[in-house]
Amino acid sequence: MRLFSLILNYCTLSFIGFLLLLSSCKENDNPPVSDFKPTPYEIEIPYAFPTKLNIPADNPMTVEGVALGRYLFYDGRLSGRTHPDSLMSCSSCHIQQNNFEPGIDNPHFVGGFVHGLNGQQTHHVVLPLINLVWNSSGYGWNGSFFPDNENPNFRNIEDIVRASVLAPDEMYGDTNRVKALFQSLDGYPELFFKAFGSQTITFKNIEKAIAQFVRSFVSADAKIDRYLKGEVQLSQSELNGFILFTTEEGADCFHCHGGFGNPLFTTHLFYNNGKDTIFDDPLDRFAITNDPMHKGAYKAPTLRNISLSGPYMHDGRFSTLDEVINFYSHHVKLSEQVDPLMHHVLRGGVQLTPSEKADLKAFIATLHDENFLTNPAYSKPEKFPDED
Amino acid sequence: MHKITWAGIISILLIISACQKTDEPATFGQIAFEVHHEVDGENLNTDALIYTNGAGNRYMVTEIHWFISNLTLIGADGSHTEMMESSEENIFYIDTDIEESWHIKANKPIPAGRYSGLRFTFGLDKTLNKSHRFVNPPESFMFWPTYLGGGYHYMKLNGKWINTLGKNEPFNFHLGIGQEYYEAGKTNEDFYVFGRSDNYEHCEGYLPPENLSPVIAFIHNNFTIELPLDFEVKSGQTTQLDLVMQVEKWFNSRELYDHDQWGGAIMQQQAAMEMGCRNGVEAFHLRRSN
Repeated sequence: MRLFSLILNYCTLSFIGFLLLLSSCKENDNPPVSDFKPTPYEIEIPYAFPTKLNIPADNPMTVEGVALGRYLFYDGRLSGRTHPDSLMSCSSCHIQQNNFEPGIDNPHFVGGFVHGLNGQQTHHVVLPLINLVWNSSGYGWNGSFFPDNENPNFRNIEDIVRASVLAPDEMYGDTNRVKALFQSLDGYPELFFKAFGSQTITFKNIEKAIAQFVRSFVSADAKIDRYLKGEVQLSQSELNGFILFTTEEGADCFHCHGGFGNPLFTTHLFYNNGKDTIFDDPLDRFAITNDPMHKGAYKAPTLRNISLSGPYMHDGRFSTLDEVINFYSHHVKLSEQVDPLMHHVLRGGVQLTPSEKADLKAFIATLHDENFLTNPAYSKPEKFPDED
Repeated sequence: MHKITWAGIISILLIISACQKTDEPATFGQIAFEVHHEVDGENLNTDALIYTNGAGNRYMVTEIHWFISNLTLIGADGSHTEMMESSEENIFYIDTDIEESWHIKANKPIPAGRYSGLRFTFGLDKTLNKSHRFVNPPESFMFWPTYLGGGYHYMKLNGKWINTLGKNEPFNFHLGIGQEYYEAGKTNEDFYVFGRSDNYEHCEGYLPPENLSPVIAFIHNNFTIELPLDFEVKSGQTTQLDLVMQVEKWFNSRELYDHDQWGGAIMQQQAAMEMGCRNGVEAFHLRRSN
């Protein structure tokens, strides 16, 4: 009996040893380290854009990383599931032709309000993924992901990827299951090696690849960009709108939404723009800073491709740009927290006339960048690695 | 014997080393400024409706963002020493929300000796105030629209005051290039279309609209002031001074600035900006750091 037990133990140990050997062999399936030669991915700085980029030191952009991120961004198995009803990826809500937003006429998300795999609606509406490599002030409507956050899990786009996979109102996934699934898919381990030097897929590298791909999204080819470079002239109505946009006695959009000196068309900062007088959203800017003056404050999103970005405001209360312009023109509300930049508040807004509203809208249309919306580099791959 | 010999050699080397220091004494030191924002002699308390200006407006300040440039030390003998290696570097952005911006330090050795004050430009002068000089935030967020003259805000001082209706009204005390607008009665010679003024140089790459704007001229509102203070820069040491903005003086030093008169926005009100700048000349002082 004792001998049998000894033999059993020996066999067990041998089996474990065999498994370890197999595991070790699998690690050794990696091509030689000398084959890992990623190509740096250079972001060309558009005219007048910032030169400082928000790229974490531990995730430099590479051609291979961006290419891998493109597959992952679009692969519905990012949810960790394979059943057709359970597929979800970044691209489920961030649709290129809709400025990487769901779009107000999205057939799955009524009115552009998105929900996760379990049907739960997200707390705020989706923000566009556009020129994010130039945002160092915080991602999200309240800026909860920012580079010097004491919580290392809430700092950058990489962390948003993880949060989106885990969130009940998004993919409601499990990071271990996700990485195991991609490990089992032909072609992916090789792409991970090319991007990160190891065929063993980690969720950290999944985060990094998607973040690299998202950082590659650059919109800088709208009519306004060509105008600022002196290549085209704006129409009379567009010029009138530009002047309204950039003057205090006009619509005064520029302090928060940029202009000639800030072609991002956002400061990426947070303002209480006078939408409400009672502030009970647990996820406003106050939730991050704990400063009572930040109650009801949210990010000023970029106005690039804004005509595709509805529904508007953090809670999607406005469906059209006309409603937004009418709000800023006549319905701004006074509160203790309203930002000082809303200096027209006691008049209810900037009081634009119908023709001024039309001019302002005409100018905003010059921020439409069709090349960004159709750039094949940002589009869904024709097929995924395991479909080769 | 060996010990004595080595001790002797080391002693001689030390003496030589000491002699060398004596022969070539350090003649340069350093200077640094810490910027303070104060109201009525106390540190600025932002977002607190506790101040009253000379015109009787109760007010609060939310934030102050501003540029200071061309910092030059005035020697006791009347000589001038630029703080920075180049004028391009001699521009500083200061922000009440960004503590690092409160520290200004020369980037070159400052000759040791006695000094009698500091001269600087509030904002940016005509030469420095070019659009797209700064492409990175937060400086880029200070851009001044081309239609209004281009370049950058000299200062954004944002807050609220209690207006005559007892309402908490926002104000944007923003200073930068002012505009002169076309008025009936002026001669054709007075009128020239926006973008054709001497400020056109600000707008490189920008095609100004023709026959559109009533702006006939731009006015550079920046000003240069000298703050007197006797101080010494000692060899090998850093002299630390405080540069203080007395916020209340923007509204009540030479003239009374009344928010009820000028309202919440003045970028297109040259008279208000002019008054602000006339007051601003008195809004700074220099003192030794504690």
